[in-house]
Amino acid sequence: MTSLNTIELTGIRKQYGDFVAVDDLSLSIPAGTIYGLLGPNGAGKSTTIRMLMDIIAPDAGEVRLFGRERTTGDQDRIGYLPEERGLYQKMKVADQLLFLAELHGLKPSDARPKIEQWLERVGLADRAKAKVEELSKGMQQKIQLIGTVLHEPDILVLDEPFSGLDPINQGLFKDLLAEYRGLGRTILFSTHIMEQAEKLCDHICLIADGRALLNGELAGIKRDLRGNTFRLVADGDLAKVESVEGVESAVGDPETGSMRLILGDGTAGSSVLRKLVEFLEVHEFSSEEPDLETIFIKAVQDAN
Amino acid sequence: MQIDKALVVAKREYRTRIKGKGFWIATAILPLLLVAMGVVPALIASRTTSTKAIVIVDQTGRLGDALVEAMAPSEDDLGSMAEFELTMEAAALDEMAQRADLDARILDQSLDAWLWISEEGLEDGEIEYHAETVSSFITQTILERQLTRVVRHDRLGALGVEAEVADELIRGVDLRTVKVSETGSKEENEDAGFFLAYALFFLLYMMLMIYGQQVLNGVLEEKTSRIVEVVISTTRPLELMTGKLAGICGIALTQVTIWLGSLAIVTLPGVVASFAWMPDGIDIPQLEFSLVGHFILLFFLGFIVYSTLYAAIGAAFNSVQEAQQFASYAVFFLVAPMFIFIFVINDPDSTLSVVSSLIPPFTPLLMLLRLAIKSPPLWQIILGYAGAIGFAGFMVWVAGRIYRIGILMYGKKPTVQELWRWLRYS
Repeated sequence: MTSLNTIELTGIRKQYGDFVAVDDLSLSIPAGTIYGLLGPNGAGKSTTIRMLMDIIAPDAGEVRLFGRERTTGDQDRIGYLPEERGLYQKMKVADQLLFLAELHGLKPSDARPKIEQWLERVGLADRAKAKVEELSKGMQQKIQLIGTVLHEPDILVLDEPFSGLDPINQGLFKDLLAEYRGLGRTILFSTHIMEQAEKLCDHICLIADGRALLNGELAGIKRDLRGNTFRLVADGDLAKVESVEGVESAVGDPETGSMRLILGDGTAGSSVLRKLVEFLEVHEFSSEEPDLETIFIKAVQDAN
Repeated sequence: MQIDKALVVAKREYRTRIKGKGFWIATAILPLLLVAMGVVPALIASRTTSTKAIVIVDQTGRLGDALVEAMAPSEDDLGSMAEFELTMEAAALDEMAQRADLDARILDQSLDAWLWISEEGLEDGEIEYHAETVSSFITQTILERQLTRVVRHDRLGALGVEAEVADELIRGVDLRTVKVSETGSKEENEDAGFFLAYALFFLLYMMLMIYGQQVLNGVLEEKTSRIVEVVISTTRPLELMTGKLAGICGIALTQVTIWLGSLAIVTLPGVVASFAWMPDGIDIPQLEFSLVGHFILLFFLGFIVYSTLYAAIGAAFNSVQEAQQFASYAVFFLVAPMFIFIFVINDPDSTLSVVSSLIPPFTPLLMLLRLAIKSPPLWQIILGYAGAIGFAGFMVWVAGRIYRIGILMYGKKPTVQELWRWLRYS
């Protein structure tokens, strides 16, 4: 089977006792994209990533990498940043990076100049001989990041990469993601913060309770939902809006009178508007592109 | 198994430790500590020797002078532990008053002890010794030995035996101890041989304890600092564990090689003889290279057993405090031989010694002890090694199963039932 997908998960499942962490999840991640794995805490993002990283074995399903079955050497072509991060506190910065590079199959002679370049780039060249525990938290985050990309992986897997990062490192991260995409490499990252994903991702997968709710190209998903999302500005009893026939959800601030409505599939905007004017003074009713948060809420409601 | 990954891990363990000051300080300090433990008490004893003032009241009038002469300090009294100042006092008519007076002098510290020699006492083979403390072992032993000699001379003299002949008659015999082994018989001082066995046993015990603890701390460090997740995203947990143990074992073997290698060289017969400062009469047992070999092999087997156990415990728990309780159970394997060791030293061939040295978890310590004291039959050595190797393999299997699951489990402390379940996961 030839495939352009760098990562392909088919029907993977993981169960802990009675708790199903991931249930029949399938993902196809095309080469050269930034792919966002989105969902609330406890949705199964980290479990999915750990199965992808071969840290835990799925109870069912298959993981394919680079269009074929996974082989042992594949792990060296992935850069992984787990959600919970750590370094050997007593080790010197350069030794630590050398260890991580060697662990990913790099020869020490190849790794050393790369370590130098990277430390130079993040402004820590003078700390190469310092122990990790002597560095500030922000500096340690930089070292962590270098350790993830030092072996120039074809795939980056980042679990909640922005959590706990200071603004400077967030910038560094975003530059790196852009750079990697430019090189045609594949990035998978998970987050529970929708705005972040919206700005960075080409593709998304929304998961909740271990199941994929929505899966595909972000632009396409937004296009599909365009006819369903409306912005309403009105005076009157806004609390009643949600109970109007055809309205699936109404999110907004009744105080300011501005709301975002999501209509059921096949419901025309005009038919809803006709019902709204019966009890509201409508100032504005317009079709708009939904944001990820809205998409997510709709997906959860559709699932139930 | 990706050996190269395990090697990267092992290399990191070895290098960070060998570069650390801790390793070199420990390597230097332990021999000093052992020497200090042996030398300092003797040194203190010799320095604190005070002159004991003792009064002799000899009602028989035959023994006092001979005793004073016998107790006089002599040139060949090497390392004498006590000095005496003996004074004769004539027996007074009022015996009670004299005794009371002597007691009073002891109480006002002008006298340390007094001896009362009477005809009646001699018939029963007794001489009275009065002092504030009657448990001064060294003083009493010396007095007893000299008194015995003087009294024997006196008895023989009464039978008309001359002093020179008497000396010849009462001369005792010493046991000349010869150690028989596969490599040939060799004269060896009994105490020195015992000391060597004792020292090797405790060295092995301490090393297993210390390095086991290091494995525990190392695994916990990886788990609590969360570095482990990055590491096992590119290696298997078993490769990580193997590499870690190999690195720490390498460090331990480096240390042992430094210690025992230098000791074996120092105790080569030619080298010992060249120590001009060595006082005569002190026997240094030779540390044979074959025994060094056994030590290293048995350390290796013992290390696998205890360190895999500690690795599993470290992986299963979330903090040193949590792990410590289980770790103290693991120490049982090390402590149990400590209770048996005195029996083995006494009689290395007794059923208890043979059986307990063949119980796999105890084999490293107890077989070493038996090997150091005397050569056990070859079949027992082979059986011991086979058992220990088998047990080490079993422990690797058990610990590996707990380790690979535990290392990723955070949060609540696992129960024994949960550990048992991890063990049975395929």
